[in-house]
Amino acid sequence: MNSKENTEKSYTEQMRPDVKMQSIGLNAWFGQKQALKDINLTVKANAVTAIIGPSGCGKSTFIRTLNRMHELVPTAKMSGQVLLDGKDIYADEVDPVQIRRRVGMVFQKPNPFPTMSIYDNVAAGLKLTGAKKGKNLDEVVKRSLEQATLWEEVKDDLKKPGTSISGGQQQRLCIARAIALQPEVILMDEPCSALDPIATAKIEELIVNLKNDYTVVIVTHSMQQAARVSDFTAFMYLGQLVEFGETSGVFENPKNELTEKYITGKFG
Amino acid sequence: MDRLLDRGLEQLTAMVHKMGDTAEKIIAISLRGFIRGKDTSEDVHELSEVLVAMTMEVEEKAFGLIAKYQPVASDLRIINSYMKIAYDFERYGRYAWDIAYIGKRLGGLKKCDPWIPEHIADMSEKVLLMVKISINSLKSHDTELAQTVSKTEQEVDEMYFQFLDKLVKEASATNQCTISGVLVVRYLERIADHATYVSEAVVYIATGKKVTLR
Repeated sequence: MNSKENTEKSYTEQMRPDVKMQSIGLNAWFGQKQALKDINLTVKANAVTAIIGPSGCGKSTFIRTLNRMHELVPTAKMSGQVLLDGKDIYADEVDPVQIRRRVGMVFQKPNPFPTMSIYDNVAAGLKLTGAKKGKNLDEVVKRSLEQATLWEEVKDDLKKPGTSISGGQQQRLCIARAIALQPEVILMDEPCSALDPIATAKIEELIVNLKNDYTVVIVTHSMQQAARVSDFTAFMYLGQLVEFGETSGVFENPKNELTEKYITGKFG
Repeated sequence: MDRLLDRGLEQLTAMVHKMGDTAEKIIAISLRGFIRGKDTSEDVHELSEVLVAMTMEVEEKAFGLIAKYQPVASDLRIINSYMKIAYDFERYGRYAWDIAYIGKRLGGLKKCDPWIPEHIADMSEKVLLMVKISINSLKSHDTELAQTVSKTEQEVDEMYFQFLDKLVKEASATNQCTISGVLVVRYLERIADHATYVSEAVVYIATGKKVTLR
């Protein structure tokens, strides 16, 4: 069976319409070290899925496999499948750049392009893909900043450097930059860990609102944040998926003793 | 690892256990006083006020722990259940006071047909047993013991209806006895219900499963 047939079999047999992404038997290595071990996880569409677990458990590696970003590390290799709308994103014919456009990423530390204005930061990805200056681009920038709940705060300062605004605003600018490309999935790797509680609350509110239009996967060290913003929670430990389920169930009555110990702060 | 939350949970547990001891004591004083025709209303009223105050302390402590530590999983189940159990213990006190007050106001069961005090004494022992089981299972986290209240609760329910049926047939009972007897068996039945709620909470704390023992 060739890769295409295999992918189509996956779509018909394994995907449900409410599933946006799915990892099947996913393993990942950096050199000799195995970072992910047989991860089978479904990411539901228009929902927030949180990945929790102690440092080094593989959660950041996992979300990087969802848009092939881990491949940017030279020693990285993987096996298994990651399906996006039922299609394997690692199939031979798939362009990783296209995947990263459909599955965007927001990082731990706000990282606006330092030499660009607020406007250009949001427009940067679109310009790279051929968008021209003009009314349409202005509208996309405005809409993206509105969706990132930043428009009202920066609408009179669009020409100022992206780094001139506060850390929390910079992170929302990065979210606007990701949204501008109209991705289907937004991955967030500890997006609030460098922010104060007020900025964190704004980003959390934004995350919950974003699921109306996007599918969100968030890695977080904060159990309370996972509980507050996510619909589903996955607990990872030593590269393995220990428990996955609805967030309310995982936090009220975890099925696995390791999960219980981790979320109640008895280890980690 | 000793967590900051653990210290608060230990204090909360000690408070709830102390409430359990007080609740068991107040029900024993009230029931035995009523059956023997002894006025215990002052002592019982005092203890019931203590239970009301303790319930508020437990609630305040529990809210403080939730606000400070955002507990989850078994920690959250324990705190939530302790709040419910504290309320149940407060109700034990309230029913004990109701029974003691009826004894004082209507004069107990001295003039009744002998079957009435016998029936209430038997039912009281069963309810006291359930109260003891609920408190002991809470202290020992013994879910098997907690679930044994189910059988006794059924017996208490049956005795409640037997009592009412017999009252209707036995026209010789005085009005006074009828009223006090009816009210007291009603309160006994309610105490039995609360003993069951406590036992259900014990199972929930330990297993996360919401069982019905009624």
